[in-house]
Amino acid sequence: MLLVSYNWLKEYVDPGISPRELADRLALAGIEVESVEPFRPDLPGVVVGSITAIEPFPGSEKLLLARVNPGGPEVSIVCGARNIAVGQKVPLALPGSELPGRGRITQATIQGVVSSGMLCSAEELGLALGPAEAGILILDPYAVPGTPAGRLLGFDDYILALALTPNRADCLGMLGVAYEVAALTGSRVKLPPAQPPESEKEINEAARVTVLDPDLCPRYTARVINGVKTGAAPLWMQLRLIKAGIRPINVIVDITNYVMLEYGQPLHAFDYDLLRNGEIIVRRGRPGETLITLDGLERSLDSDVLVIAGKAGPVGLAGVMGGENTEIGPATRRVLLEAARFNPAVIRRTARRFNLPSEASQRFERGVNPEWVPAAQNRAARLMAELGGGEVLRGMIDADASPARPRLISVRPHRINEILGVKIPVEEVVSILERLDFTVERGSGRTLAITVPLRRGDIFLEEDVVEEVARLYGYEKIPVTLPRGELVENFAAPDQRVEALARQTLTASGFFEAITYAFINPAQLEKLGLPPGDPRRAAIPLQNPLSEEQSVMRTTLLPGLLKVIQHNFNFREMNQLFYEIGTVYFSRRLPLDELPAEKTSLALAATGFAPEANWYTPSRPAGFFTVKGALEALFRRLGLHRVDFVPAKLPLTHPTRAARVFVGGEEAGFLGELHPETAGKWDFPQAVTVAELDLSVLTAAADLVPRVAPLPRYPAARRDIAVVSSGEIPAQRFEQAIFEAGGGLVDRVALFDLYEGEQIPAGKRSLAFTITYRRAEGTLTEQEINAAQERIEQALSGMGAALRRR
Amino acid sequence: MLDRLDQLEREAEEAITAASDIEELRALRVRFLGKKGALTALLRGMSQLPPGQRPAVGRKANDLRDRLEELLRQKEAAVREAASGARWEKERIDVTLPGSPVLLGRKHPLTLILDEIKGIFTGLGFQTARGPEIESEYYNFEALNMPSDHPARDMQDSFYVSPQFLLRTHTSPVQVRTMELQAPRLPVRIIAPGKVFRRDDDATHSPMFHQVEGLAVDRGVTFADLKGTLLLFARAMFGERQQIRLRPSFFPFTEPSAEVDISCIMCGGSGCRVCSHGGWLEILGAGMVHPRVLEISGYDPQAVTGFAFGMGVERIAMLKYGIDDMRLLFSNDLRFLRQF
Repeated sequence: MLLVSYNWLKEYVDPGISPRELADRLALAGIEVESVEPFRPDLPGVVVGSITAIEPFPGSEKLLLARVNPGGPEVSIVCGARNIAVGQKVPLALPGSELPGRGRITQATIQGVVSSGMLCSAEELGLALGPAEAGILILDPYAVPGTPAGRLLGFDDYILALALTPNRADCLGMLGVAYEVAALTGSRVKLPPAQPPESEKEINEAARVTVLDPDLCPRYTARVINGVKTGAAPLWMQLRLIKAGIRPINVIVDITNYVMLEYGQPLHAFDYDLLRNGEIIVRRGRPGETLITLDGLERSLDSDVLVIAGKAGPVGLAGVMGGENTEIGPATRRVLLEAARFNPAVIRRTARRFNLPSEASQRFERGVNPEWVPAAQNRAARLMAELGGGEVLRGMIDADASPARPRLISVRPHRINEILGVKIPVEEVVSILERLDFTVERGSGRTLAITVPLRRGDIFLEEDVVEEVARLYGYEKIPVTLPRGELVENFAAPDQRVEALARQTLTASGFFEAITYAFINPAQLEKLGLPPGDPRRAAIPLQNPLSEEQSVMRTTLLPGLLKVIQHNFNFREMNQLFYEIGTVYFSRRLPLDELPAEKTSLALAATGFAPEANWYTPSRPAGFFTVKGALEALFRRLGLHRVDFVPAKLPLTHPTRAARVFVGGEEAGFLGELHPETAGKWDFPQAVTVAELDLSVLTAAADLVPRVAPLPRYPAARRDIAVVSSGEIPAQRFEQAIFEAGGGLVDRVALFDLYEGEQIPAGKRSLAFTITYRRAEGTLTEQEINAAQERIEQALSGMGAALRRR
Repeated sequence: MLDRLDQLEREAEEAITAASDIEELRALRVRFLGKKGALTALLRGMSQLPPGQRPAVGRKANDLRDRLEELLRQKEAAVREAASGARWEKERIDVTLPGSPVLLGRKHPLTLILDEIKGIFTGLGFQTARGPEIESEYYNFEALNMPSDHPARDMQDSFYVSPQFLLRTHTSPVQVRTMELQAPRLPVRIIAPGKVFRRDDDATHSPMFHQVEGLAVDRGVTFADLKGTLLLFARAMFGERQQIRLRPSFFPFTEPSAEVDISCIMCGGSGCRVCSHGGWLEILGAGMVHPRVLEISGYDPQAVTGFAFGMGVERIAMLKYGIDDMRLLFSNDLRFLRQF
């Protein structure tokens, strides 16, 4: 992010268009502009006043009476500040004006004296200037009384907030932005004057630089400036820093920041006298070493960190933050100024490790312009002479281990057209690249030899140049076509089809689809009632979770789904049917040394009644059989025939209301009412039934293509049979017995009634089946049906069931 | 003779009007119009009339027959109606009562959007591919031209499960995985929908969200093809009149890269609150596959080119359904879900 003052930018390039037009042009060239806003709202009624006289205030030691010329008839202002003097220009808030931190200004009478307004401090105008700026803000001595103060202070300037992608390090400085603007608008860049006046004394007599790790610090330059003052920077500079979002400190630090904003090259100023003998060593940190950085925190160092050191030890984290031990302060008289290039990776690691993303580290991480290291050094030294009253020693130390050379790229103009699908003539390609300040030579044959300015560290490949051409040519001018080519087979994979069918069937069965987070709270696995040894308890933890609530990867969808049920209970939704299809994650070993197994799981949950109470159909509890019915519908839809629900005792379900589900002989999952204890832990006010199945087992057994049997040619006959038996005999056993005893004549068996109650002995139940008899070849005779029914009755009696006759 | 016809008419009318059931009407028909009925009997005497009067009498007799037939028919209908009316009244239902409840759930809105996206791209010949949600650093970053210490890694703050494995921060690893499997066969045309994870949590960011990646690699695939494909997508998803705008941008795994905007679905581009008065809404990132990514995945970047794009499903769902807080999408609140 760089905040660009439009007026400041105009010092280097004239875009010839308004700030908003410029923002649009930048955006369409790939520099995202997040906002374009006036620097500050206008301050109507606050004008430049010239102090014509200062008189003591009768009867007060603290107050003064100032006579001020506001560009009209003179006014009297009562003022408490002591820093004013006759002849100064100050901001005067006239009655009726409003100040950001103070509200409306009115004419006041103070102990009988009329005060027609207020003289303002920087803070009262909403400006956070440096610490030196207490009292009334003293303006430019040449300002004309009556001029609106907001205009004089550049409140009407526009600030463009650039949201820069990591490749455009070149635009982390005003000059880089100026080059981009010049390319877009066809204007020229004007560089600021950068040659400092130098004294007789040689720098070599004052300082020495040793780079021990040139791979981590390819270039280090230093200058020494003597006799500096460390007061406030001039108002214009402070204002520009504020516009860029940097707080002014003192003139020396402000200059380093100012030049960083100009060139994108971070600089650091050391108090020369706190460095022993002007000795600078660039080296890796040593175990056991510490440094207190400018933010007051002590940092322990080691060889992963690059430091700037003096004879006595580290004085700064290279490229990240300086040390307190050499900080510029009011007593500073001599400055050693650093401008260097550091290895981006080491800066990035250091900044991350110490959680210190600074203006400097941000720029070094992305790479600075090697050419501008000495330019920024000189520019800052010059400003220190001009504004800080310093004397720049002759010469610059320049430890340049590997002088950077501009990159040469060979580009085929026809390739540009091939990649973009356009027909841009070579001449236009050349002209676009030259606008970008690239040097273009027509090479042999059909290639262009392109020299990339060092500023653009992001351009390496032909494709990078293609993008440069495309963005200046204009993405909007590229035509619209569709890909052509061979057809490819395009069938949904079986698992995707099964998922889609599951969603379809369950939705049609009344279930709502939930999508919950893939990470859960590990406590929920325990709350589910899973014993410590359960594989689902071995969830993969996140190393850096946002919260405990989202700290391990789920091994089951149930915690997520139960949270959904809980959430909806809170909103008085007592009848709920939910399902979720999602990934669950299992590690073979922790910590992970290979990718974990990811399985697609299907979970269902039901509670309350379904359908809800209505006038037409009876409402039934949404429980075990609701979920089972939905699963059976799904199994039919997937062509699964061999399905078994086997009673089971499972950790999280009711001991006698749960079943393992087998599909094609393989265990696919389970279904059951939540154990009352588990339901209690979740504070559920009513029973909740859940199921969870491994979709891959269903996919493996699925038969998605129905094969049609011939329609029966002979009629069927129906007979009912009812048996009273102990509840311990599963209904399915009777069904099986009916098929077996029927001797191939039984086509279908349907349980149409289940009764327990008064007319039946306690502990027994009556099951009533409709049996459909049919033979493929020929109509059944009455005798055949009776004989079959007889056999069935005997078989059922043999199982200990009493036939119930009506 | 004519007088007797008039008299017969009066008599018959009276009797029919007074009749109250079907049997009575049947008897009246016999009495007046039957073969031995009054009218026939009367006509038998016609031969005795002077020939000059016969036509007039004949006409009148015929008219009378027609009239009586009509009267009988009407009366019969009225009698039948009156008889069944009582039964209809007894059998009346209240048609405004609600219908028998059908249990019908809803797919999650994100599934609806995902299905729609898949449908559009399946129609264009894109296959659906998938990849793991827990990824290696290699596929999530390195193979996508983001070596360690690359500043672009800051663009996506990631959740780690071990030093080398993390929750994938985008669906782009599926690009590389798919190409590795398919190289050197051409063309590659896939979309890869799925969950992705980033360390962000507020009204516009969720730590888990969904993306759909798109990839087309072949000889002669161009940036213009990318534009065409995305325009087609935008129109299929948001309507025939959609426009798109591509702005240059940066992704380490594409070059050139673009951010893609659609004209604002609320105002159509004239500027409103939804599009912050810009007229455009950013919906996805795209670009030409970076030559290094092609190379790493087993294709020769000099021989083939490709485009890729990645879109956020939540963003599209929010725009399409007018959802203003992303967290609603993960609330699984029935009051929300019932609206789809």
